[in-house]
Amino acid sequence: MAQHKVNYTQDGGLPVALTSIDKIVNWGRSNSLWALTYGLACCGIEMMASGASRFDFDRYGTIFRASPRQADLMIVAGTLTKKHAEFIKRLYDQMTEPRWVISMGSCANTGGMFNTYATVQGVDRIIPVDLYLPGCAPRPETLQYGVMLLQKKIRANKAGNAQKAKRLM
Amino acid sequence: MAQIKNRLTPFFENITFDREDNELVLNFGPQHPSAHGQLRLMLHLQQEQIVKAHPDVGYLHRGMEKMAENMIYNEFMPTTDRMDYIASSSNNYGFALAVEKLIGLEVPRRAKVIRMMLLEINRLMSHLFWLATTALDIGAMTVFLFAFREREYLMDIIEGYCGARLTHAAIRIGGVPLDIQDDFLHQLRVFLNKLPQNIKDYEDLLDTNRIWLMRMEEVGTISTEMALSWGCTGPMLRASGVAWDIRKEEPYELYDEVEFNVPYSDKGDNFARYRIYMEEMRESAKILYQTIEMYEKCEKDGQTELMAHAPKYISAPKLDIMTQNYSLMQHFVLVTQGMRPPVGEVYVATESPKGELGFYINSQGGPYPYRLKLRAPSFWHTGILTDLLPGHYIPDVVSIIGTTNIVFGEVDR
Amino acid sequence: MRAYTPKDDVQAKAYYTDRYYVAPQVPKSEVETDEVFAADLEAIKAKFEVKEAYIQVEQMVVYINAHDIYGVLEFMRDELAYTQLSEMSAIDWLAKDNTFEIFYQMLSMEKRKRIRVKYFIENGQAVDSVEKLFRSADWSEREMFDMFGIEANNHPFMKRILMPYDWQGYPLLKTYPLEGDEFAAWYEVDKIYGKEARDIIGPEIRDTATVDRYDSERFARLGFEVPKGTKITGNEEPHVDSYQEDGGIFLIKKYDKESSVVIDDPQR
Repeated sequence: MAQHKVNYTQDGGLPVALTSIDKIVNWGRSNSLWALTYGLACCGIEMMASGASRFDFDRYGTIFRASPRQADLMIVAGTLTKKHAEFIKRLYDQMTEPRWVISMGSCANTGGMFNTYATVQGVDRIIPVDLYLPGCAPRPETLQYGVMLLQKKIRANKAGNAQKAKRLM
Repeated sequence: MAQIKNRLTPFFENITFDREDNELVLNFGPQHPSAHGQLRLMLHLQQEQIVKAHPDVGYLHRGMEKMAENMIYNEFMPTTDRMDYIASSSNNYGFALAVEKLIGLEVPRRAKVIRMMLLEINRLMSHLFWLATTALDIGAMTVFLFAFREREYLMDIIEGYCGARLTHAAIRIGGVPLDIQDDFLHQLRVFLNKLPQNIKDYEDLLDTNRIWLMRMEEVGTISTEMALSWGCTGPMLRASGVAWDIRKEEPYELYDEVEFNVPYSDKGDNFARYRIYMEEMRESAKILYQTIEMYEKCEKDGQTELMAHAPKYISAPKLDIMTQNYSLMQHFVLVTQGMRPPVGEVYVATESPKGELGFYINSQGGPYPYRLKLRAPSFWHTGILTDLLPGHYIPDVVSIIGTTNIVFGEVDR
Repeated sequence: MRAYTPKDDVQAKAYYTDRYYVAPQVPKSEVETDEVFAADLEAIKAKFEVKEAYIQVEQMVVYINAHDIYGVLEFMRDELAYTQLSEMSAIDWLAKDNTFEIFYQMLSMEKRKRIRVKYFIENGQAVDSVEKLFRSADWSEREMFDMFGIEANNHPFMKRILMPYDWQGYPLLKTYPLEGDEFAAWYEVDKIYGKEARDIIGPEIRDTATVDRYDSERFARLGFEVPKGTKITGNEEPHVDSYQEDGGIFLIKKYDKESSVVIDDPQR
């Protein structure tokens, strides 16, 4: 019988990896951010472009899901109007925890150029937001960087803790 | 940290408890992946068949007409980008043309050629986007990826010109702000040489595809009377047997100098509309080839002016502003107070990729328009769903919405 | 005497106008200069009363009486081949003489001509619906009702279209401010969270020049976010837990005697 010494500390030494729960859970969460298809306006087109051939979102594990029940991440891409405000709250409530929100573009951040009667002045009046992306419309690269930042943020959190209240509410 | 309770009560729209008949009410949207934005449809169903459809719009109403009344004319230009955000320059152009007609300006020829290039590039972008999303809705993922790939080339060309991918603001009242960049023509030529093969690829994938044909042919048939009565324009009208293209019938810019055909069909169904979009891409390419020649001729003739000369309304070129006192003063007044067009009203229609894009401007001689009405084609193309959907089945809804090519920035404004 | 300016007009106004400035006019020409328009106008004049007609920017403008509108449009559609209603809406002249001006933009594809039919109505008066003639008027009239509060008689579904059904106020009136009234400002908060949440959520920030220092200092960098309302002194160390340890192996945490716990109780 061949005798060989297993060096447990070298990589590949043993098909077992030791880690903390936080890390393994956050690793999984951050690398499979399934986003809700929530293109509201112009930014929605750039969101689609990020999912399409040139920018290829799939390599981040970000796959667009049409149902809020299957989504972890809500990318609010576009202007939120007062008529629609009710629905964003409904959809956010339908998403299962843990859930994250990226507010994409000036309109979603602050109302942007649409300083009018019909526009909600910032989506953070309705739901808590994790990340604000500037731009009108932000380029797909911005959205990709935003998702990478969000991944970093998820990894920095304790996985077991209930989600802390973020910004508002 | 205060937690606030949510006041929203559950919807029971899908269930009606005390109905006598067998109808099911189905809510579709406003967040639906194939609604192309924020369309909400209330569908009354008799089993799988729709008996009544009630489109609900306004989920993207941002008050643009109100904004226009509170903005000077040049300030409103970037807002028009966000109307039909898939082909921004065509909105810019529609507005610029309306104001030019109001004040009676003639735009230099070189600017006209550049504008036509931008318009046709936008038309190609819009049609490619239409093809991509419709194919995706129907399940042809490959076409989505292919068409987006080609669209990105055009995006790069446009980005090189104006610096933005989506919201261009590339056209000004009285001309264009910049000359095209050095490699614009080269890039455009490379793209145009590639385009016929690309369109053929899409057609190879779709034209004889059984699933595509089953969901497109004989579905969503719009008769000529219905299309006229509902105010349909553009490809929607041309698919229903009326060869009406504003570029051909009421030519603006230099469209009377270029040679192109207006594809039309008398079938009126989804497939006819699909064919028209494909043919229009070829015609756009044809126009673009001709504009390249026109541009080169402009260069040979030494026509370098890009903005009309009208010191009352239009700022002088940057060189003059920086060197001449009077131009600087004029520029300051135009930027801070805005131009004051004459008293009167104008309605100008242009052929945007979706149909007739009209701007009605009522000016009372002030720096702000007194009333500005945006006539967006998609508004009526959404309205027609009321009459079009009954009789169809649930799966047809998606393909019909797809081929109407509605954009909600434009529907709700 | 100083010119009268309506006090309830809340739209943006030119902050300076030269006293002697006389705005020029967009040139109007006689209808007789265009033979197609002249023939059309004669045909309309034979049946209906025409108050005024002229050509402006290549299009004929015809003023008629409000009660004639259905007849005129029907006549134009059936006899004069103006087969499409491109657009219709209203203009607010309430401040001037308490009227609305309604315009219908007609298109004849056969003749390649466009005519704008217009008339005035008093404030509070309803218009006759032309929805039976042109289905496109269905939505345009609803939009007009939504934006100006002008109702259309005989319309099958006279409800708001762009604004929610429970909206108050008519946005395109000159008396309605661009940024909305009190109702508009709290609409979404009242609807979703109720009136008592107004204090917690706070008023809308409409001033584009507002800068919250803490937003830019604390929220722009990862690991700095704090819940809203937290007192910030300014010198806390950010807690950032690195995902990958420096020089470590993928996923594996380095053994640290200090931070590890020895479990004595097997039942734990």
